[in-house]
Amino acid sequence: MRFSISVILILCLAPNFHSWAQQPCDLTIKGRVFADKNGPLMNADVLIPTLSRGVTTDSQGAFVIGDLCPGDYVVEVHYVGYETAVLRIAVPQKDPAEFKMVVESKNLQEVVVQEKLEQVERSANYSVLDGAKLNETAGKSLGESLKALPGVNTIQSGPGIFKPVIHGVHSQRVLILNHGIRQEGQQWGAEHAPEIDPFIASNIVVVKDAGAIKYGTDALGGVIVVNPAPLPEEPGLGGSINTIVQSNGRSGTVSGMLEGGIKKMEGWGWRVQGTAKRAGDYHAADYLLTNTGVKEYDFSAAAGYHSENFGTEIFFSHFQTELGILRGSAVSNLDDLIVATETEPPIGTTDFSYDINPPRQEVKHNLLKVNSHWSRAGGEWRFQYGYQSNFRKEFDIRRGDLSSLPAIDLELRTNTLEVEYETVNASGQLFCFGVNGMYQDNRNVPGTQRIPFIPNYTSFSGGPFVVGKFILKDWTLDVGTRYDVRTYDVVGFDFTNRRYTSNLVFHNVSFSAGVARPLGEHQNIKLNLSSAWRPPHVAELYSLGTHQSAAAIEYGLLLNDSTNEVMDISAVPFQLEQALKAVATYQYNTERVRFEATMYVNTIFNYIYLQPRGVTTNIRGTFPYFRYTQTDALFAGLDAELDYAMNDRFSVNTRLSLLSATDIRNDDYLVFIPANRLEVSMRYQAAKSKLYVEPKINMVAQQYRAPRVITIRDFQEAITSGQDPLGGSTENFDFMEAPPAYLLVGVAVGSSWPVGKGRFDVRLAAENLLNRSYREYTNRLRYYADDIGSNFSFSLKYIF
Amino acid sequence: MNASSDIVWKSIRGGAIVLLMALLAGCSKDDPQKEDTPELITKVTLTFTPVGGGSAVVVSATDPDGEGVQDIAVDGPVNLNQSTTYVLTIELINGLVAAGQPGYDITEEVEEEGEEHQFFFAWTNNTFSDPAGDGNIDNAADALNYTGGANAKDAAGLNLGLTTTWTTTDVIASGTFRVVLKHQPGTKTNLSGVTVGETDLDITFTINVQ
Repeated sequence: MRFSISVILILCLAPNFHSWAQQPCDLTIKGRVFADKNGPLMNADVLIPTLSRGVTTDSQGAFVIGDLCPGDYVVEVHYVGYETAVLRIAVPQKDPAEFKMVVESKNLQEVVVQEKLEQVERSANYSVLDGAKLNETAGKSLGESLKALPGVNTIQSGPGIFKPVIHGVHSQRVLILNHGIRQEGQQWGAEHAPEIDPFIASNIVVVKDAGAIKYGTDALGGVIVVNPAPLPEEPGLGGSINTIVQSNGRSGTVSGMLEGGIKKMEGWGWRVQGTAKRAGDYHAADYLLTNTGVKEYDFSAAAGYHSENFGTEIFFSHFQTELGILRGSAVSNLDDLIVATETEPPIGTTDFSYDINPPRQEVKHNLLKVNSHWSRAGGEWRFQYGYQSNFRKEFDIRRGDLSSLPAIDLELRTNTLEVEYETVNASGQLFCFGVNGMYQDNRNVPGTQRIPFIPNYTSFSGGPFVVGKFILKDWTLDVGTRYDVRTYDVVGFDFTNRRYTSNLVFHNVSFSAGVARPLGEHQNIKLNLSSAWRPPHVAELYSLGTHQSAAAIEYGLLLNDSTNEVMDISAVPFQLEQALKAVATYQYNTERVRFEATMYVNTIFNYIYLQPRGVTTNIRGTFPYFRYTQTDALFAGLDAELDYAMNDRFSVNTRLSLLSATDIRNDDYLVFIPANRLEVSMRYQAAKSKLYVEPKINMVAQQYRAPRVITIRDFQEAITSGQDPLGGSTENFDFMEAPPAYLLVGVAVGSSWPVGKGRFDVRLAAENLLNRSYREYTNRLRYYADDIGSNFSFSLKYIF
Repeated sequence: MNASSDIVWKSIRGGAIVLLMALLAGCSKDDPQKEDTPELITKVTLTFTPVGGGSAVVVSATDPDGEGVQDIAVDGPVNLNQSTTYVLTIELINGLVAAGQPGYDITEEVEEEGEEHQFFFAWTNNTFSDPAGDGNIDNAADALNYTGGANAKDAAGLNLGLTTTWTTTDVIASGTFRVVLKHQPGTKTNLSGVTVGETDLDITFTINVQ
């Protein structure tokens, strides 16, 4: 679908190149401006920024701009309380333009994406982060940015590492599409964040249905779609530069973008973009969080050609980051863990520094993508190829010179290829089929001086899919199904450093069915039932050893319980993980009120998770150990969002996320499930200027649906007195009680003003304004330290 | 996954792989190399040599499976004579490396990196008269004899403890004897105790003075 989004966007925005050179400059742009579905909008400002010309709309919402030369114009419509609407209009005009204004917090890009998403799956349940909301998250990582969406949360490993969680599931169960390509990094680790610079996105769509059919396996929780803006197609230069400074971490971020068309080469466009970020040690309310700095450098370049029936694009991006992990969280055995969790400020806390020392991560990710589409009578062919290389090095505190060697050093190379054909008939019925394939090579770079945590493997996966859309009166029905195969060819070393090999094959089907219909003028409903499956990751099958800064040993599913030897998959009762997810959304939209509620029930059969199994001693001391095992898990919840504009100046936004997750096979709770939360923000928009003030509160409940607690001291005492600290039970446990509920207050002030042909946006924001000490349940560093304290940020963006 | 469907899948997969491999010429899988594992300690040997002569008491703790689930095995208690002074030397071995190869003898490494390491000891039931007390795990300043050999101290003169000196009590006593090796890169001082740094070794033996 990502394909169709960009392709159709481009088609829609494609200018009509008539024989304009001969025509005089006495042409006009005519159009009308509407407020959502609520009729014409009077006194809206209609501007052509490049000409610094503007008019206002009449009582019918109509406008005329005269004395124009032939060519393409970007036309903006501004109206207080509404997002700026932008259209590219070719002169001479065929038909009058229609601008549909959207209540603020949405903007054109979002509308375009929504419309285009709906072209394929009108019944999909999704949220969009874009425009003003995306700008507000500038300077944050992708995962952290997505927290702004209802139903999306994060698993964190300190202030710099955020993994997105959709409806309680994450990592291998969330698919990320970056520029249409499946993001393939080392997603298996809870401290492995997505390797994407959020500045490359013009919008991010989170699809909350499982089994997003066109994307392949793994989307048990949902899909995150990172969309770029369409490439420009006419001559001229545009761009933006964005600088953000933050007090917490004393961080600075600069991101710039430059784009344009090519003279005398109609249809060609290009864009280059880059981001640099540097942060030092973040601080909690009362102390520094030593060694939590970040160093990030990213760039990307794109070029493309588009005509009426053909388009092709090439895109390259490089992402590079170095992340420190809290010094005080580096522990070896249980005794170390007791000390680390009971010491505050954390062990090793020193003065502020930008230095990043072990434990730390170095991650690089490259993406090269080529895609094309051909429109023919009756349908369109699309082709896409992607190459990704991912390099991950993890450095632990090790003996002597070993600290300079990575303990984990992995290279993952992925090739993806997709071909699809889509045909749409006059009544909007759609039929699309295609095939995707992926070939992957994961390699441990020699020289870590440690038995690899996961083995080397090559993997092939792929399969065909078919998607259809049917329209019956008010009802829209989307159905789709796909079939996938995945193979693994594994070579690794077991606990005695002996080589093993295995070959695995998995295959299964996924399906999705959804209906949507409007209820009267202001409401609509969507209902989706989908099923997705996921081949187990090699890490879940073969993991061996301790992971970065966790006093626990992990064993894969295929390691024998008592001998540790690697077994054949037929020797264990393994079954494929499969989700069945039902999502229902109700929407209510009027000029002043926008309400949306999404309910979901996701049952994941044969859910693979790390189960506590016991305690083992080795020369370094005592360790609890966990083994990947399977159960059935149920995730059920509700996301609701209410926007209410009291008048043109005041508006209130409320978001609520409720989630309950249980292990239904063992009647137990799962760990690291986001607690219920509520966010309320108010916004005051000055009448004449662009000034706004936005106070905000975040309330997060305590997670009461958490597994039993066995404190580390209890653990240690049981061992000393010769008892089993787990009490002979494999029920999940946590070393600490879930942290108490917290409430954070923030405020933002901003404005924007035009300068020449461009525009300045400025924003001053405070998060955790009262510098509250708190801990977040889904932050893995909550055992060792408080979450970050107050943060003041200033951002300045210049768009031209 | 039954046999017939397996064959079908293998052939589909085979065809697809050939196709992809042709497309992605240049991607070749290389065989993984075996890593040295210098950090792993699989065997610890304590040798108590009587200063006044006589046969040494040797006890080992062996980890049969490294990171595996099996517990370590200790080959018997430390049986010492009353009122006798012993020099304790500690040997650390990584059994996954062939004897004689680099990385086999971890003792050497700890000695070379003495300024980042220190052994700590704790015992119960007053099994020793010198040092008296219960050892320096609970309190780093407590009595312990980092003497008896060159590697009792590190190059900076701080306590290391690969060699230590012990005098047993003059009555029959039994208890436990715990040995902890800490890795304290950049944080080792003459007062940095067992709560500083990462644990490289932590084993408890049974001890009898008879």
